[in-house]
Amino acid sequence: MSDVQHLTERFEREAAAVTDRAGWEALRVTWAGRKQGLVRDLEAGIKNVAPEGRRAFGQAVNELKNLVEARLAALDEELSQLEREATARRARIDVTLPGRRPQLGALHPITVVSQEIEAIFAELGFSVAEGPEIEDDAYNFAALNFPDEHPARDTQDTLFLTNGLLLRTHTSPVQIRTMLARQTPPIRVICPGRVYRNDNDLRHSPMFHQIEGLVVGEGVTVGDLKGTLEAFIERLFSPETKVRLRPSFFPFTEPSAEVDLTCSTCRGAGCAVCSGTGWMEILGSGMVDPRVLAGCGIDPDRYTGFAFGLGLDRVAMIRYGIGNIRTLFENDERLLRQVDLP
Amino acid sequence: MKYSCAWLSDYVDLPPTANELAARLTAAGFSVEHQETVGTDTVLDIEVTTNRVDAMCHFGLAREVATLYDRPLRSPAASLTEDPEPTAGAITLHLDHPDGARYAARIIRGVTVAPSPAWLVERLAALGLRSINNVVDVTNYVLWELGQPLHAFDLATLGGATIRVRRARAGEELVTLDGQKRALDPDVLVIADAERPIGLAGVMGGLETEVTATTRDVLLESAHFNPKAVRRGARKLGMHTDASHRFERGADPGACAAALDRAAHLLQELAGGRVLAGVADARFVPEQSWLLHGTLDLARLVRFLGVDVAAQQVECWLAGLGFELTPAGEGRYTVTVPTWRYYDCHPLRPSGEVWEADLFEEVARLHGLDAIPSTLPRLVGAEPPASVAVRRRRVVKSYLAASGFAEAINFAFHDPESAQALPCLRPGSPPLALANPVSDRYSVMRRSLSVGLVENGRFNQRRGAGSVRLFEVGAVFVERPGERFPQEIETVGLIAGGVVGSPWQGGRSLDFHDVKGVLETLAERFGRRLEARPAVLPGLLEGATAELSLDGRSAGYLGRLAEEGSFALFLAELELEALGEPPAAQRVTTPSRYPAIEADLTLNHPLEVSWAQLEVAIREGASPLLVAFELKDRYQGPGLRPGTVNSTLSFRYVAEDRSLTQEEVNHNQEALAARLAETLGATRS
Repeated sequence: MSDVQHLTERFEREAAAVTDRAGWEALRVTWAGRKQGLVRDLEAGIKNVAPEGRRAFGQAVNELKNLVEARLAALDEELSQLEREATARRARIDVTLPGRRPQLGALHPITVVSQEIEAIFAELGFSVAEGPEIEDDAYNFAALNFPDEHPARDTQDTLFLTNGLLLRTHTSPVQIRTMLARQTPPIRVICPGRVYRNDNDLRHSPMFHQIEGLVVGEGVTVGDLKGTLEAFIERLFSPETKVRLRPSFFPFTEPSAEVDLTCSTCRGAGCAVCSGTGWMEILGSGMVDPRVLAGCGIDPDRYTGFAFGLGLDRVAMIRYGIGNIRTLFENDERLLRQVDLP
Repeated sequence: MKYSCAWLSDYVDLPPTANELAARLTAAGFSVEHQETVGTDTVLDIEVTTNRVDAMCHFGLAREVATLYDRPLRSPAASLTEDPEPTAGAITLHLDHPDGARYAARIIRGVTVAPSPAWLVERLAALGLRSINNVVDVTNYVLWELGQPLHAFDLATLGGATIRVRRARAGEELVTLDGQKRALDPDVLVIADAERPIGLAGVMGGLETEVTATTRDVLLESAHFNPKAVRRGARKLGMHTDASHRFERGADPGACAAALDRAAHLLQELAGGRVLAGVADARFVPEQSWLLHGTLDLARLVRFLGVDVAAQQVECWLAGLGFELTPAGEGRYTVTVPTWRYYDCHPLRPSGEVWEADLFEEVARLHGLDAIPSTLPRLVGAEPPASVAVRRRRVVKSYLAASGFAEAINFAFHDPESAQALPCLRPGSPPLALANPVSDRYSVMRRSLSVGLVENGRFNQRRGAGSVRLFEVGAVFVERPGERFPQEIETVGLIAGGVVGSPWQGGRSLDFHDVKGVLETLAERFGRRLEARPAVLPGLLEGATAELSLDGRSAGYLGRLAEEGSFALFLAELELEALGEPPAAQRVTTPSRYPAIEADLTLNHPLEVSWAQLEVAIREGASPLLVAFELKDRYQGPGLRPGTVNSTLSFRYVAEDRSLTQEEVNHNQEALAARLAETLGATRS
């Protein structure tokens, strides 16, 4: 009896001394090992005990066995916990530290806006047309029904080259080039590009950007112009944006209309941005003047069309809340990099 | 342009409030920009478009109002008691040049020049005009009433009782009413007496012949001039007056006599005197030639507008504006255009008729564009696909933005000096110069994006930036010998330098090879191979500058700026066309299912042996199992023979059909090392 008792006491001592996985493993092999474990030896010895003491001995061995198994399991759990803690300690980082960010770049606000408008018109069935930035009088003015010596030309302060050519004052010559090249309607194009005027102050930049659209076909109506502009503006701004057409005058369209939108800042209530009117003038438009069609070799008795144009710089300024057009061409990376990639 | 509501109501009954009138006028194309209360009157400031000279006066705008509200229009009184003496006997008119198309005059003898009555002073004051005397004020009043510019001469000051409209002679001079002495030349159309110019036709009268307190006999001029002639003269002399503003845009060629009668009526009332009998009227062309004709087809009108408009309504609107409509059957009319819309309807159809769009415009405007239902064009067929240039640009921009570069946009012109100190893709030709630049800073067209980008780099450095990574895509302009239009070459430029990101963010100083890598990848996207060869270019550091080619075609450059800012900047430029078409369809290869074996090789070789040479040597005669190799590291310094460098390369071998053995790879590496030692003197180290 005392043998088992001693062993029990010894086990308690050894178990108490276990501090790590190796110690636990040694304890397990010594006591619960399948080949030479002490518990197993005791169990093997039960049959040699005299019958009168066998039952009690067996009971004592069984108790020891249960004790050993329970303690080993408890120690195992204890050690595992310690080990998990140690691993976590080793792996510990400050998860609140800033992440390392991919170094993305940015497209210019004007490019973003232009691509967006191009995409909207692609949905409406338009293609993109482009033309040279250096033009002559014929494409920039004469073909667009600006007569020689006419004050309408004064509204477009032109920059001339010493060789007599000029920097296009609008993207409209692209419409002329497109009609001359294509000849056969239907034509649905959108013409983005840089334009130039001899104007250099706080509100004007001598170079800026326009995007113009042209539709020519049989049976194109004033209603089609309106519907197209509304579909466009709803997509570019928001479906709540209201559109107002004010008859106006441009040499190359007849009738012509200025297009006003409800002010994006005050939503029509009137504010400093819209000078209290609730409207922002953003677009010029009209039905293509038959003189322009005829000049491009397109029969104005058979075909009609409409055209419109807007300043990309202005749309970009409204979109991004930029107050001064000159800011757009300063190319300060701190500003440019705020623009999200589409 | 300012309009007094009180004045307008002389001719038409106005709606109850100015706000209502303003909204209706705005919707019909007369944008009311501003309203102002002056005493009991309201003054409207209206933006009148250049084609509507007829409405640049109170009676003209009243005609619009009367038409919009379908109310009667009252003409101003013009009744006269004429003296028996005929005007024709007192003055002789000569038109020497077709640009002086019509000259009409009346003479009033024995006027009393005096201050104007209060009502007249007030009317002029409401528009911001100063009263001078009753005679001059009447001419101004009629201008703002009927739109016809008038001038009053002191008849006694005219030499030879003669008026002649002619071109000025070289050397002639005229002191105009504003006291300025004007040197004249044949570009300027003048009013002259028998001897000398006495007025600039359609612009301003002369000082010597003006009406003064002592004037007794007045000659009233009411003329019509070719708009281009007036504009040419006014521009030449740098002048712009209320008269020239109207004549340049096209005044009413039929209004001369009526305006004279109205002015004479007022003068008789305000200054007394005898109005001589009749109007002296000289014309180059018969009055009939100012009347234009055309055809209006209601069905075509409805098809154009996209909305039904009743025939009666159309008739009513056009008649209100002064168009004469004669039904021609089947919903068609022949139309006569009033003389006050003569210039608005030009140029005419080749047949000499008025374009129907000129008439459609009036209906659309009066109907109100907002009231036309919105539709979308019903057109069949697809548009052609986007051009190569458009697609290529989109790829280039989005790739560079994704690679960490921010897009810049610079002006396409700069000062002439900066360009000379920087590289340029086509250095041969001089830059195109502007004739009227906004300033010397912007006086030549760019031949390279370098000027703008270098300026942007410096600008960001000055503002304390730790790094710069900008790109720009845009045209550069190069003269083409024998061609009218210059070549516009679309180009991409990059400028980069500095440390991108903090050490925590893995920041690293950008260098030549960072920029080169970006361009290499860009070229690869277009299936091109970018190669760099040492070059010497202005503004770039010799030794750190390369000419770039794409598949052997020279396409740009890359180099370090010689002038150092707060950190080194690297500048590159590439012609986009050299990239070719963006690949239509990209193909990928399925990687081998068998494992690859990697093997490194460190070579010691003279500095003169370039990577380009190593690449060529490795490729030549390489085993088909070698699928990739790259530069792993370069070492130069202690432990190496001076003038040599260690290049560590890593090679990747793989077979499509089996697992490679290390022996095969070793064998290949041995053979490669031996070949490099033999051809380049690159020894294994």
